[in-house]
Amino acid sequence: MDEIEFSSTGSGWGSRSEVLAVGWGNSCETVRSLLPRGLLNSCPAGVSSCPASSCPFPSARSPRLTLLESVLLPGPRPTTGGMEFLELIRTGRAQVKLLRGPEAPPLRGTLCVTGHHLLLSPGPQGTSDLWLLLLRSVDSIEKRVSGDSGTITLRCKDLRVLQLDIEGVEATLDIARSIEALSSLESVITSFPFFYRPRGLRLGDAWHFHPPERYYKRVARETNAWRLSEVNEDFSLCPSYPRAVIVPRAVDDDALARCARFRQGGRFPVLSYHHAPSGTVLLRSSQPLTGPQKRRCAEDEELLRAVLAGARPGAPGFILDTRSAQAAKQAGVTVGGTEAKAAYPGWKRLHRPLEKGRPLQESFVRLVEACGDLEKSMDGWLSQLEACCWLAHVKEALSTACLAAWGMEREEACILVHGAEGMDNTLLVTSLAQIILDPLSRTMTGFQELVEREWIQAGHPFQLRCAHSAFSHAQPKHEAPTFLLFLDCVWQLGRQFPLSLEFGEGLLLALFEHAYASPFGTFLCSSEKERCLCEVRTRTHSLWSGLNQPKVRRKLRNPLYIPNPLAIWPSVEPQSLQLWQGLFLRWIRPPEPSQVAWEKVWQRLASKEKTEDCESTSKPQS
Amino acid sequence: MSLLRGLLGMELIGTSVRLFLDFQEKLASLDMRNLRFALKQEGHSRRDMFEILTRYAFPLAHSLPIFAFLNEEKFNVDGWMVYNPVEEYRRQGLPNHHWRISFINKCYELCDTYPALLVVPYRASDDDLRRVATFRSRNRIPVLSWIHPENKTVIVRCSQPLVGMSGKRNKDDEKYLDVIRETNRQISKLTIYDARPNVNAVANKATGGGYESDDAYHNTELFFLDIHNIHVMRESLKKVKDIVYPNVEESHWLSSLESTHWLEHIKLVLTGAIQVADKVSSGKSSVLVHCSDGWDRTAQLTSLAMLMLDSFYRSIEGFEILVQKEWISFGHKFASRIGHGDKNHADADRSPIFLQFIDCVWQMSKQFPTAFEFNERFLITILDHLYSCRFGTFLYNCESAREKQKVTERTVSLWSLINSNKDTYKNPFYTKEINRVLYPVASMRHLELWVNYYIRWNPRIKQQQPNPVEQRYVELLALRDEYIQRLEELQLASSAKLSDPSTSPSGPAQMMPHVHTHF
Repeated sequence: MDEIEFSSTGSGWGSRSEVLAVGWGNSCETVRSLLPRGLLNSCPAGVSSCPASSCPFPSARSPRLTLLESVLLPGPRPTTGGMEFLELIRTGRAQVKLLRGPEAPPLRGTLCVTGHHLLLSPGPQGTSDLWLLLLRSVDSIEKRVSGDSGTITLRCKDLRVLQLDIEGVEATLDIARSIEALSSLESVITSFPFFYRPRGLRLGDAWHFHPPERYYKRVARETNAWRLSEVNEDFSLCPSYPRAVIVPRAVDDDALARCARFRQGGRFPVLSYHHAPSGTVLLRSSQPLTGPQKRRCAEDEELLRAVLAGARPGAPGFILDTRSAQAAKQAGVTVGGTEAKAAYPGWKRLHRPLEKGRPLQESFVRLVEACGDLEKSMDGWLSQLEACCWLAHVKEALSTACLAAWGMEREEACILVHGAEGMDNTLLVTSLAQIILDPLSRTMTGFQELVEREWIQAGHPFQLRCAHSAFSHAQPKHEAPTFLLFLDCVWQLGRQFPLSLEFGEGLLLALFEHAYASPFGTFLCSSEKERCLCEVRTRTHSLWSGLNQPKVRRKLRNPLYIPNPLAIWPSVEPQSLQLWQGLFLRWIRPPEPSQVAWEKVWQRLASKEKTEDCESTSKPQS
Repeated sequence: MSLLRGLLGMELIGTSVRLFLDFQEKLASLDMRNLRFALKQEGHSRRDMFEILTRYAFPLAHSLPIFAFLNEEKFNVDGWMVYNPVEEYRRQGLPNHHWRISFINKCYELCDTYPALLVVPYRASDDDLRRVATFRSRNRIPVLSWIHPENKTVIVRCSQPLVGMSGKRNKDDEKYLDVIRETNRQISKLTIYDARPNVNAVANKATGGGYESDDAYHNTELFFLDIHNIHVMRESLKKVKDIVYPNVEESHWLSSLESTHWLEHIKLVLTGAIQVADKVSSGKSSVLVHCSDGWDRTAQLTSLAMLMLDSFYRSIEGFEILVQKEWISFGHKFASRIGHGDKNHADADRSPIFLQFIDCVWQMSKQFPTAFEFNERFLITILDHLYSCRFGTFLYNCESAREKQKVTERTVSLWSLINSNKDTYKNPFYTKEINRVLYPVASMRHLELWVNYYIRWNPRIKQQQPNPVEQRYVELLALRDEYIQRLEELQLASSAKLSDPSTSPSGPAQMMPHVHTHF
């Protein structure tokens, strides 16, 4: 059991050979980390009642598997529906051959389906390590039978495609059905993060990551025009906001409550970023509920007036609407709408339509399809890439963020960003604008805080948006890769400014994987309120503590980084934007994956430290 | 002054003189710039200015010397010393039992476009060579380019056989290829890569050329690599220019880029070179490469394959030797392809073959960021001076012409500039790895347009903060040097102290492999 190592692919577990970027935990720690703490020694239902006792594996053959299995098989923790994973597992094991893409050699061994994982034991003669896959990371499953064997193709949320060749038709069908059932479980509190207990991490460790409060301390040092309001303490005002938000000091909590009623989903304007050099601010909200009667809200108007008053005298305000003017007008026919010019003196409205929802998801699906289509002649690759429109979306997102950043830095204006609900493209624009302007958000810690504050706490509905990735056959309901688009834009920034980001591609890839399927609780649920109800903070581990373990963190660093105090203005010409090969072509990569290259680069830099160590160890000898 | 070297046409418009820098109409320089001199009304007349510019921009048309002969720059390194063919062949382990160095072409009598020094099979006599020469286009006989240090298979280059419509045969040529095959006893067939598309090879028969047929050459297998000729490449690059200059195509950038087919051509060249490299490194067969004359596509294929196979060529000096050997000494017609100092920009002989080669190298360096000692700036500098005429390196079509003009005595070498300031051109991430074969992925998905070169004059695509990046590279290089030095000190210290270094489980002894592999 020593051989297993937790791979960076949060969605999966890999044998050591697979682990490229981040491997945390050392050998046997991993096995222990798999133990839902207490499950082994004081399992509520007792390990003996676990299927381990009816274990299909003769323990003599692979003792390590038995141990693991007993750990991984469904915890008998009563679930909300009272259903146990066990009922969903039709068959425990089969002899399989696993194909992991063109580069990796096939693995042969015994496959076992557990409550949260697929595991493959190579058997006693096997040379390779145990292989694990988090079931939640399976996006779609396809089965084919012919003769007395079958093939299951698993398409994962991290865009990997795996093929299992299984002996026996019955076994194939059973395993396929089990995977299908287990990977589509929607219940949050029975998901793996609630059982995952890695060694070296303590529960609640990184949940002190309270960015609104922490960020407020920074704002308070820069200006006193803003205050931290706990008006949303019980999430009654706005279910998708965190408990504490930063608002103009001049506006009291009662006024906020009335503002909230005037904005869709209660998302009243709050501070997203204070740009100290120009003394201006970036705000975000949802659309005002003006409706056909052109309703107004005195408190909402007062709030925006207070924002301008708190900034440099005479500072203009811009409302950046992420919908087209027409779409905004359309919204006004029902309940939504836009801020009327007359009601908000000093504020001007700009429309920058950004795609969201289904068209964005479809663009993502088409792109992944094109990337995976290796059979097809490559003649039309570039026009195919263009037809996916993904890079066009990247361009639009970046240029809108540039516009917001430009307004703050050069026009010294205050900017309010919103679309309709204000939890997708709004966040995309505000977070990218900060990376362009704010050197702190380009550091490792700053970027993590930004993601936590501007995406997770700001109520981007990860549970809905990332339910499926590009392979699902199901009709998309709420899925949209807005967060992936954000990561892609950050990658483009990193490519154009190779020295200015403290983190490398590895962190972005890790965030992509963990957003879609993760052993950590960070991306669970759609809002702070839901996370509170599910006790995510107390019962799961935070991704941030996983990523910030020194060993892992070091590898996510960009070795070229030097702090750059200036704004980074990207070129958004189509010639300057590239397909993010590290993500979209990750599993069909060039022979020297850039990660391996960066690994070398990193080694090179770390070697200086090594020399020093070396020196200090050699000195005592002398 | 040096700017004018790259000039190729100009016209008078309004009150200013408009210059077409190279690329505007011919394709030679991808500088992609047009300059416009706005002159004040008073002072010199525009007409005079125009004439002076024309005269100096196209010296050959006005019987003036090329700038390189007037250039009096001094460098503390002499770039002409970089390449010494005997030394380079010795590095490859030549001569050996099967291959000898021949001086038959000492006075360029056998082949006027080949270098003076050739490596040929030991068993082929000078008379054999002369007879083979009659059957190869422009007497460019098969000679060795590179030999694998372990399996002793070779890359041999030449021009097409003069088969013609009637399907002529030449016993000496057939025998000669067999002798090449037999230099390595393990191989049963000699692989011939004809760089051209099949149809072009057939069409060449009409003009007296052709390819090695199965009936005549028994122990060979022939493959066509489908790389198009210089005219196709020139037109393709012209299309690239059209979409990036004067305005960069925006709305349908990717499909416009696709319609230039530039990347597709890059892909074919790389694919061909990969096949050559793979064949040789597998040890299954020696490889003979030719196209029509053996100085364009052949040079691309052999030099790229050698770059993949031999890590020596991935160092700065090694790359200079590679260019000097496979391109300059073996008669890539730089003067005709670039048209130095010549105003006839519509000349059909012009073609960006060498640029295409450098682009392929750049693509490889993208895919293997730690494999090359040089950086992007090195490649761009080479291309800049390919057109600039500041150095003698790329002047003239072949070694014999260069010797006649005494280029090495009368001009400065580009490598003098580069080698006297090597740090500027170093890649801080370079990891020296001996005997590693690089196989780039020659798939459209993994190739990109070299924006930093082709579109570098467009302010909207500005290379972001180039100076800090270079600054940081310099810092990293310094860090690396410091590290190496400290390690050497440590090794010295520890070897003095430890009687048996193998017993020490950690510390300097273990660090040693690190030094060699990573630095």
